[in-house]
Amino acid sequence: MTLIFCEARSARRTFVSLALVSLLAGAASGAAAATANPDLSNQVWQHESAGDLAGARSLLEHEAATPGNSAAAEALAEFLDRHGDAARRDAYLKWASIETDPQKRKLALRQAVLLDFMDAKDAELTADLPRYRAAGGADLAPPAKNRKPNAFSSIVIPGPLPSFARMAALAPDLAPEELLPALARNVVTNGYEASGNEVLQPTEYLRLLIRYIGQARELQAIAGKDRKIVIATCDSAETGNLLKVLGYRMRGSCGGDIVLETVNATRAFVTVDSAFPLTELEQDLRANHRFELAYAPTVIPVLYSPDYWLAALGRNNQTDFMDAFLADPSLCRLYLGLSHLDSMTAEVLRRQTSPAKLKIYAHVLDFFGAMFQVRNGAAVVPGPPRVWASMVGVSPSNPGAFFEKLISTDDGWMASYFDALSRIEGPTAAYLEQPERLKRFYDAVRGKITSPGPARPVFRSSTELMLLTTSLRIDSNGQPHVPGDIEVWRTLFIRHPHGKYDGRLTRSASTWRTNDDLVEALFALSRKTVENEPLKIFLALNDVDRGRAKPISPQLASRLIAGYRAYGAQYVIFASSPSLSEASIGHFLDICAQTSNLHDQSLKADTIGAFQSLVELWGILCRQNSIPAADEDATFAKLIAPFIHIKQETEVFDAGRSGVDVLLAAANARSSASRQEQMVELLVGKLRSEGSAPPSPAETFLRVFDAQRLLPLDSIFLVADRAGKGSIDSKTAKNINEQIARLEETQWMRGSLSSEERNSLSTGYWSARHIEQERKFNLDGVLKNSEKKDARALLAPFLRDSLVGLLYSYYAPTGAQLLLANPTFVRGHDFIGSEGSPAEWHETEISGSGWPESGGGRLMGSLVSLPYAIAEAEQNFLTPKREQALIWADLVPQLIVNVTVNRWRSVTPEQLRWVALHIQRGRALLAAAALDPSVEPPVLNSYGRFATPARVEWLAQQLHTGNFATAASAIPDSVLYAIADDPALKDVSPDIDSLEISAMAAANAPDLTPEAISRAFGTPKPTLTHSYQPGLLYLRTFPALMGYSSRILAESWESNNLYYAALAEETGIPTDRLDSYVPEWNRSTIENIFATHLEDWPALLRSLHATADAVRQHGQAGTSPGSED
Amino acid sequence: MRTFLSFISCSALLVVAAGPWLRAQDQDQTTFHVKVDMVVLGFTVTDQKGKYVNGLRPKDFRVYEDEIPQKVATFAEGDHPPSQVLENGETRPLRSASSDAATSDGIPRPDIIDLRSSSAGTNVFVLFDTSNYMYRGFVYASDAIADFIRGLDRADSIAVYTYSRNLNRAVLLNRDRSTAIAGLRKAVAGDDSALYNCLLLTLRDAARVPGRKVVIVFSNGPDNASMVAPDDVRAIAEDEGIPIYVISTSEVNKDPISATVFKKISTNTGGKSYFAKTWQKQIEAFESIREDLGNSYTVTYYPQPNPNEGFRKIRIDLISDAAKKYKIRARPGYRPQRGF
Repeated sequence: MTLIFCEARSARRTFVSLALVSLLAGAASGAAAATANPDLSNQVWQHESAGDLAGARSLLEHEAATPGNSAAAEALAEFLDRHGDAARRDAYLKWASIETDPQKRKLALRQAVLLDFMDAKDAELTADLPRYRAAGGADLAPPAKNRKPNAFSSIVIPGPLPSFARMAALAPDLAPEELLPALARNVVTNGYEASGNEVLQPTEYLRLLIRYIGQARELQAIAGKDRKIVIATCDSAETGNLLKVLGYRMRGSCGGDIVLETVNATRAFVTVDSAFPLTELEQDLRANHRFELAYAPTVIPVLYSPDYWLAALGRNNQTDFMDAFLADPSLCRLYLGLSHLDSMTAEVLRRQTSPAKLKIYAHVLDFFGAMFQVRNGAAVVPGPPRVWASMVGVSPSNPGAFFEKLISTDDGWMASYFDALSRIEGPTAAYLEQPERLKRFYDAVRGKITSPGPARPVFRSSTELMLLTTSLRIDSNGQPHVPGDIEVWRTLFIRHPHGKYDGRLTRSASTWRTNDDLVEALFALSRKTVENEPLKIFLALNDVDRGRAKPISPQLASRLIAGYRAYGAQYVIFASSPSLSEASIGHFLDICAQTSNLHDQSLKADTIGAFQSLVELWGILCRQNSIPAADEDATFAKLIAPFIHIKQETEVFDAGRSGVDVLLAAANARSSASRQEQMVELLVGKLRSEGSAPPSPAETFLRVFDAQRLLPLDSIFLVADRAGKGSIDSKTAKNINEQIARLEETQWMRGSLSSEERNSLSTGYWSARHIEQERKFNLDGVLKNSEKKDARALLAPFLRDSLVGLLYSYYAPTGAQLLLANPTFVRGHDFIGSEGSPAEWHETEISGSGWPESGGGRLMGSLVSLPYAIAEAEQNFLTPKREQALIWADLVPQLIVNVTVNRWRSVTPEQLRWVALHIQRGRALLAAAALDPSVEPPVLNSYGRFATPARVEWLAQQLHTGNFATAASAIPDSVLYAIADDPALKDVSPDIDSLEISAMAAANAPDLTPEAISRAFGTPKPTLTHSYQPGLLYLRTFPALMGYSSRILAESWESNNLYYAALAEETGIPTDRLDSYVPEWNRSTIENIFATHLEDWPALLRSLHATADAVRQHGQAGTSPGSED
Repeated sequence: MRTFLSFISCSALLVVAAGPWLRAQDQDQTTFHVKVDMVVLGFTVTDQKGKYVNGLRPKDFRVYEDEIPQKVATFAEGDHPPSQVLENGETRPLRSASSDAATSDGIPRPDIIDLRSSSAGTNVFVLFDTSNYMYRGFVYASDAIADFIRGLDRADSIAVYTYSRNLNRAVLLNRDRSTAIAGLRKAVAGDDSALYNCLLLTLRDAARVPGRKVVIVFSNGPDNASMVAPDDVRAIAEDEGIPIYVISTSEVNKDPISATVFKKISTNTGGKSYFAKTWQKQIEAFESIREDLGNSYTVTYYPQPNPNEGFRKIRIDLISDAAKKYKIRARPGYRPQRGF
């Protein structure tokens, strides 16, 4: 790649890592201390951290030109390596050639060998290995490139692959062996629907695909043996045949006027939808040119052989595989199930069971078989094999029979349990896998009625089971953590304040003695998709308790349990802020209860709007470390105190105003600026002139705030202060009157519903009324007190809107459109909800979309999940770069939230370097695993913590065959980071990156602790952790789950921010510009996604790579000229 | 000798953004650079029988904003290139000056447009509904749009966008008809319909293009996924001066809500709506749009000082008594852009 240079900016800190690395490298190798020049290191660091890569390079090249300056040569090589420069290998060789320290020479040559392998440069590898060996290196050798026997045969489908892929909704960049699994998933998920008599009928998607295959066969026949469709002249006989197949006819006689027009809509639709080159045909006919189209059939890899799959159907080999495949979703699930397994496990299972019998349990194998593994001739099980032997009825030492029985037992519940336990590790796994608990908890999950099993639907229905096993915490005494105490949970199960849960559990609760009893009950609830509220409450409180210095008391736990149904969504605030005292939480709940009882709905909405806004602003300032951790609770208490007994609008105004001042004081804001400016600066920083860079967050913020016709805080406060005193300054008055006038305009701009219609709809009524009241605001009247009202009461709704607007503006994603186009989107926030369905404390939801007369969609509910709701509302304004619409309605918002919650404002250059080094170290370990047989097992074991056995096998195979690029590009960056950070690999295969990591770690910098890295590059996980506090959990990627679709998958996907960090380091983005660039990259990543199905997480990686390629090609913003905005 | 004339924009905000330079040169030709806050106003004039009235000159009409008379800067009829309008109402051609739109370094200035080259012809954005709602009429609609593209004036540019839940920029703005039709014929059928979301995005794209532009929506109406309201989209089209033409494949009485919205959105932006269920009607609708484009007038002006920061009403008066019987169709007004 070519390094991207940008303007130098002053670096905030100096850096000593290069010198330290040199020293450490010397120490590690037993060599003499290096002669690195600390001044040079610091200068280079200052250039790099300011984004001046050209300056850094120039400096290094100048120094390295000095004969014998090995330290400079080393620094140059490492610099080029860090920035992915093509000259890095030569630089390492040059360093080695002048290095006098033998250990360091070996290190340099080793890095050159690793780079040769990573870049698939066989000739260079052949040349560098002897050099490395001559320097004393003995650990690396070229991979044997021995391929395992290929388990695939092939089938032939008519027509070209791109057309088939379009019709089957398959991503065009899928690897060949991934095509059929992807097709199978689409057929299972989208191919069939139940008809009235419960018989499965093909959907339109499948009917079109089948129609396409029929048409492709006809075209294949026309193409003949030459595999070429040829129309010699316009009036030749073949023309009519071809057009008939395509569903078109000629309008006009042969010649310049000819136009192709539809004659058979069904066929023509398939022709267009499959991208047949109709225009080229038309042009050739018009010009009477010869039309030629290569039309060869496509060969697709199929696991095992077509006969195997047809045998599952009891068909002979005369049946067309594809026809049979599309016609039977169970066969598709069997294909999926076996393709999830590693080859040895699959072979064991196939030997054990006939395909026809396996097909009966294919749904279970599909959803819960991915963790099956045979090792040393036995099934690998989570827990003692003897317990599994007794549960399953077959010993794991007979793996084929064991897995067969496992999938055929209890309609999948046992396999689901096996799968959930196999995915976890650590203390929770150790606790759950103890013999007595293993069976006991399984019995609880299984229950008495096993049908329908969790694999029957198109999504896994055992969602809560996976959440429970992932979230359960084990205390230092080895016991599961129970928020409060066992008594409060017993009370919940016995008294069940919100309605009966489960009679059997209610009865058994009275006999509970230990935490195990509660956990058993939770497992019993985890199989339910409804009426499992106690489990949801437990998970929520578990997360509230997670980061607290002192666990919540039984009294508070009891209160939170009792208030869950009304206020449970708000517990995210407590989980996100473990510093909150119990008293503050109690006051918060008091306010919730008292405010809910307000009868005046306008007052209620204003109170809630102002209160929730201030609390959310407090949360942001805490998250951004603007409020010192030690002051968080006191600030919160002071912030909410004035809301405790609100009875009129003037009190809302005073509480809101006081809250603003409390926040600004707590954050130690720049007092010389206005309150509005202080708040904006605290939230998004200063407005910057960015040149060619993407807009600064402050620009987006201010655009949205203005587009929403909101009044600056100071203007509102000034009017309140000057009310009845006659006048305010003309500039403020003009601004207020303009905004009111613009608001007034929206009234006639919109063809809104009549008030009767709004009443009949009952939703949004209070929001509409709120806006109507504001339109009537008369500034002059207020200033002259002609309305004889307390101005604060009239201004309270405006203050509410401005506070809410600060949040909307803050969370507006890059490329936001709705927030700019709908001028009353903020004011329209519906805090009240519809009659009988109060929304004020519920999660933020979208309401009213897709309804032309509704005045547009709006948000409803509390502000607690505003980041996600805004992302959800804005996501459809993103424009996919390829023809497919964004299919992940539950995933894309989370990807947006990753960068609207985590703002990249306090990331340090050291943190960027740290992440980039880890990811490079992860890749280097993979390369070492391929070149050093002793490194392979620990690296693959480490990878196995995040991947299924089949993926581990795939990785090993790629490394054995030298496909490093394929292997590395398919591993998420969070996994690469975790591998590099794995203590078990700390001393394995030391290299340039690990040495630099050690050097940086030795400095004990507070911003490089795991917690700091987690905060800086983590993602919020409101579903998994009930918190918007960003963090890194290094989880296995979750599958799509019923009730959540791909939302939990999205929350478990932690690679994007780490990827961007490494990209920023590589391309030299200064940290003070990350808040502009990263959101733009993130938007590009989303628009690059072409996913085949809801679990196609590799599509995310592909889109990240596409974005990075664009950044390298077009510059740091990664957008080419002409791209939007 | 070169002279520079500058226009004073109507507000402090516009002073920052607007700043045209009119450069007279060699007595006969003028280079006209504009910044993007210039008002582009398209209108058609029809007689009592609904026939287009052609051949009007700048001195035949007056343009008012909030009753404030405006100085027309350029004038064009149909697809003819625009001319500079002189103080006396006469016109003279603008010269091509692509080199002047660059800095001394030769770097293009994105904020400055070569009006002459950019204003020849119309920039037509076709927004084609490929959602499930259009499934049955998809290919016939595609045929009708292809015919429309073939029949466009050579000076016109065409972009083809498709939409379902998201927008797809199938063919970016260009003058190559084959490319446009090829892109159209590779449209992929989608699922949900977010017409107004995608119309908003189309307008944003169109707004970035200098010169005259229109958006033609081809849809059967339903929208089940948009977050933005039709009225908000319409407001943006008004402000940007982009007429919206709508061809609906449904019948008026089958979906009265969509029909009402379509009529309102097209009328208020200076466009038209058509309800064309059959393929033949769709062809006729496109023919009508083409005729409309070919018989419309386009003027540009820089707003005179006006304290109104809200909606500014535009009025066009024809001067002669005979012409007063004619009907003028134009957007009713716009809101000036704001800074922050």
